[in-house]
Amino acid sequence: MSQATERPVLDPTIALPFHQAALPVLRDAQLRKNVAHAIDVIQTKRGRLVAEKTDWQELRSAAAEIRAHVLENLGTYLEQFEARCTAAGGHVHWASDAAEAREIIRGILRSEKASEVIKIKTMTSAEIQLNPYLEADGVNVFETDLAEIILQLGNQEPSHIVVPALHINRSQVREIFAKSMGRPELSDDPQTLTDAARRYLRRKFLDIPAAISGANFLIAETGGVAIVESEGNGRMCLTLPKTLIALAGIEKVLPRFTDLEVMLQVLARSATGERMNPYTSLWNGVTPGDGPQNFHVVLLDNGRSSILGKAKERQTLRCIRCAACMNACPVYRQTGGHAYGSVYPGPIGAILTPQLMQLQHAQSLPYASSLCGACYEVCPVKINIPEILIDLRAQVVDQERHKGSGIFSPLNVGLRIAGVLFSSAGLFHAAQRIGRIGARLFTRKDGWIHSLPSVGGKWTQTRDLRGFPKQTFREWFENRPAKIGTEGK
Amino acid sequence: MSAPSSGRESVLNRIRKATSTVALDGPRLAERYSSIPRNYVRAGKLSNATKIALLIERLRDYDADVAESAPGAIADTIREKLTGSGRQTFAAPGGLPRIWMAPSFNWVIDNGLSHEEIEKVDGVVTAATCAIADSGTIVLHHSANEGRRVLTLLPDWHLCVLRASQVVETLPEYFARVTQPPALVTWISGPSATADIEMTRIKGVHGPRHLCVILVGD
Repeated sequence: MSQATERPVLDPTIALPFHQAALPVLRDAQLRKNVAHAIDVIQTKRGRLVAEKTDWQELRSAAAEIRAHVLENLGTYLEQFEARCTAAGGHVHWASDAAEAREIIRGILRSEKASEVIKIKTMTSAEIQLNPYLEADGVNVFETDLAEIILQLGNQEPSHIVVPALHINRSQVREIFAKSMGRPELSDDPQTLTDAARRYLRRKFLDIPAAISGANFLIAETGGVAIVESEGNGRMCLTLPKTLIALAGIEKVLPRFTDLEVMLQVLARSATGERMNPYTSLWNGVTPGDGPQNFHVVLLDNGRSSILGKAKERQTLRCIRCAACMNACPVYRQTGGHAYGSVYPGPIGAILTPQLMQLQHAQSLPYASSLCGACYEVCPVKINIPEILIDLRAQVVDQERHKGSGIFSPLNVGLRIAGVLFSSAGLFHAAQRIGRIGARLFTRKDGWIHSLPSVGGKWTQTRDLRGFPKQTFREWFENRPAKIGTEGK
Repeated sequence: MSAPSSGRESVLNRIRKATSTVALDGPRLAERYSSIPRNYVRAGKLSNATKIALLIERLRDYDADVAESAPGAIADTIREKLTGSGRQTFAAPGGLPRIWMAPSFNWVIDNGLSHEEIEKVDGVVTAATCAIADSGTIVLHHSANEGRRVLTLLPDWHLCVLRASQVVETLPEYFARVTQPPALVTWISGPSATADIEMTRIKGVHGPRHLCVILVGD
């Protein structure tokens, strides 16, 4: 089952629990080296550019407040966006879930008789598993972001939301390109490989009449949509085709055009460690003579409104998908993205995925963290990820406890027994004495317990446990040699 | 093909129920919005000369080719750059000053060129709306002298002429200058690039691989 060469599963409904999915990665030295290298490069650049910004904390505060304000008034701002976008010549669609969104997009492509479509990297489309759905409907989907091409041609899955192929190194990219583009002469020089991608896509940009994008920001004030990118593949898709479909989570809206002065500054620095990404595009609906004349926005709920309804968890939706949290995470650095069993890996994935799935799936993800807080510290919109992780853990435990089988689970039986023992001093002391006798069976000569049977084995699998001391503190206190200063009492 | 209205209503209903607060009317929403604290740096502090120097440094950091020019010498500076590029055929937006188009080159003026026609040119010359020194960003609003979006996208070589008065220090200063949000904006920070393979920055993926900027003193 757990071979590193197997294609990872990024569907939370069928993915393995995190601690199992992480095992093949932990054994794959090459993959861990690739991930660590990429993370170190981004982290160093980010650190340098954040440090040079004297108003970084003020920018973070403003970004967090803007996003929180949007979420409080989300309905109003979405309706405003819809009205302005429609007035500017766009069509706005609303999708309750993934199936509705896929259906809407297929409908638009069918009415345009589009059998091929070019795509800008969009994690939201991966969330609704759009590509396989369209392929099954006879539409050829061409990813245009370099990392996405690597994944698509190599039949691989994304492991990061900003640099989706960071787990693949240059010689692996060379293998993929040489095979799928029929160019065995290619070297593994990144410049050569990038040129190969440019040539591979150039004709497609000019010929394919429909494009699908995500959206970094929707502007309520103007009905505009903004896309932040580096390569120019985004600009190609936004400019050349006749038809453009932008798929956006309902939370992506900003009140005004001016709010970009905050969001663009924090996003580029957080995501790629740049002062500004090479290209950002903003457009309102349709402009005659410039760009696609048939423009659609699909607003996707897919579980977001249920997150919106929970006071503490609502902040999850402030996320602007910069990936700073996964770059800072000591767990992600070891496991890479695939272990999270979702297109959203890392700390944000650990809170977002279980909530989008309403905790029926991905229950192991809230535990995929050491709660060190590095993610919160770097988050440009101040999402308190550790706080939500703890809250989700409590919800998982509650759900388990109320399940029929949960009553007899070792954990719950243990906790109930502990509850009884801790409620009486006599019982507690008796339990201590019995425990000390019992533990003696497993304590080695060095004073440590190296292995316990049954449930206890889960602890000793990876850690040693210090043996019980000969007496408790209370016993020592009662029998200590000189009771100085207690005579008068 | 049209959106099922049921989708719209059910999404909006769930959102309203989730936010549960009474929807604020226009003035109260605006009031709440304006109370968002914005204590970040908005106005720059640099002198004009230092600001221009910073912009040049940032642009060169992105591997852009930068030249300065006196107002009376724009046409000459453009001609030098065109010659230096070793290219022959250039596209120009309809509103580009004719005096900028040196007669020794072939000029294709965009009054509705096809994508294929634009794909064939060697380069493009445009003006710009603004530049932000702090991040080395050039802003296009795609007006008559900046051209349609496709015009600065397909050609491999882009020469952009900026006036010193168009340069601001910070991103918020740009937004303060924009009184009416434009329908189209492209923010360009250096030539197209990727770091998708082992985080190695590679210049020039799909957009123009060469960016040349002429800064004109006022």
